[in-house]
Amino acid sequence: MTRERTAGLLLITPLGLVLLLAFVAPVLLMLPTSLHGYVPGRGITPGWTLENYTALFTDSYYHEVLARTLGLGLGVTVLCLLLGYPLAFVLARLRGAAAAWVTILVVFPLLLNVVVRSFGWISLLANRGLINNALVQFGLIETPLRMMFNLTGVMVGLTHIFLPFMVLMLVAALRALPRDAEAAAAALGAGPVKTFFLVTLPLTAPGMFAGSVLVFVLSISALVTPRLLGGPTYRVMSTVIYDQFLGTLEWPAGAALAFVLTVIALLIVAVAGLVTRRWTLAR
Amino acid sequence: MNEGRIPTVLLLAGAVILLFLLVPVVVVVLAAFSNTEYLAVPPQGFTLRWFAQVLQDETYLASIRFSLVLAVTATALAAVIALPACYALHQRWLPGAETIAGLLMSPLIFPAVVVGVALLQYAAMVGLRGSFPFLVLVHAAIVSPYIVRTVLGSLAGFDPALEDAARVLGTTRAGAFALVVLPSIRPGLIAGLVFAFITSFDEFTVTVFLLPPGQATLPVTMFTAIEQGVDPSVAAVSTLMIVVTGLLLLLSERLSGASRPI
Repeated sequence: MTRERTAGLLLITPLGLVLLLAFVAPVLLMLPTSLHGYVPGRGITPGWTLENYTALFTDSYYHEVLARTLGLGLGVTVLCLLLGYPLAFVLARLRGAAAAWVTILVVFPLLLNVVVRSFGWISLLANRGLINNALVQFGLIETPLRMMFNLTGVMVGLTHIFLPFMVLMLVAALRALPRDAEAAAAALGAGPVKTFFLVTLPLTAPGMFAGSVLVFVLSISALVTPRLLGGPTYRVMSTVIYDQFLGTLEWPAGAALAFVLTVIALLIVAVAGLVTRRWTLAR
Repeated sequence: MNEGRIPTVLLLAGAVILLFLLVPVVVVVLAAFSNTEYLAVPPQGFTLRWFAQVLQDETYLASIRFSLVLAVTATALAAVIALPACYALHQRWLPGAETIAGLLMSPLIFPAVVVGVALLQYAAMVGLRGSFPFLVLVHAAIVSPYIVRTVLGSLAGFDPALEDAARVLGTTRAGAFALVVLPSIRPGLIAGLVFAFITSFDEFTVTVFLLPPGQATLPVTMFTAIEQGVDPSVAAVSTLMIVVTGLLLLLSERLSGASRPI
């Protein structure tokens, strides 16, 4: 037993060390940075302060960014649920080659580079993009619709990025349905609509919940899509962090914001884990 | 879930939603062949000049090379450190194997942008800012969960009696691993490696903070190009990436057999 334990430790140490050095240590080392001040031109000041955190609660600019980020996450999650459920429902009922092909078509965008996918939406949504050009050409509008550098653009882009995750989670939940539950409801006289709302939907609720948590957490921490489709002016937490670290060099303020984002993400994942455990125990 | 007829309304809705997923991809591919200075769909005329322009552009070529070297090295390193860990976990040599497996997946929970800025500060602190080996190490850490997941999954489906048989027949533990275990988990391992490679090649959010001065990965170069303005040459690079990603997906489907979602 002890020999095996030694072997096990030796085998797991390299990966453990890399993860510790590349994730845990750097994130923890940001905490002290976030507790320093910053003076433009002079850099990071030596004294300790909580001003970077208090600013997040008092500064109206940060209020706007925080509210926008969380609102966007919520909107994207709801959109993914609304679009993901019908597609997952169809996919879960398909058989054979059709099922395989639809699965590939859902997974394919997931594997595609985020920059490429955001670029696709830029070419569609820009002021002189394909949608506006078509609408103007057909005389439906005079001036282009503003669909980029605002909520619409970022929401559409993020929904497109995270929809496949939701679909895959929901398909798994639908396929795991007890085989006879729907048949029993139908045999007892429930129509398809009633069966769906009273049986299928409640039984897949844990899957919907897991998918929503995943999409929400990924949405609030996305960088590329909000940056490309939101531009330099329509900012969310991650793009503000990006600018503070690579642009204005206000590292302490950026570190504080990054810490808050991490805490939000980890809290949501932890609470979701607790809820899911309660759920499974209750059954 | 019961089999049966799917209502037409639902089929239509499903098709429209699938279309929403695919439209930006199709648009990019079509625009890459347009003989215009701006993006046009349907393409006006037909030309390959945007592809030619990209393949002669030293900035793009250098970043493609950079991304390839980075992704291959990081995937190899991740496999070398993840395989032993998976084997130890599978053999239950350590107490709390489930918890450890969960911890090994934890890189997926941290917001990437936070990891990026944390690593930027860390690299600046220890004097590794812009170091290529450091970037490789970070990428190996980022892609390791994908390998751990597929390999642990394959090992769970592996019959331990086969390994015992090899041991009884006189092979060493390492020999049994190389000759019996590894070949039988190969499909899952290859799928994991392909996915790890794609993830490393595509990674933007952490990478952008850690690049050596004057060098960039392909996604970062494209990002910069898009921020400066959109033209069909970006569509051409995107099309190349779409084609390669599609080929890799088909390859891993072939090699891993079943069409299971990742």
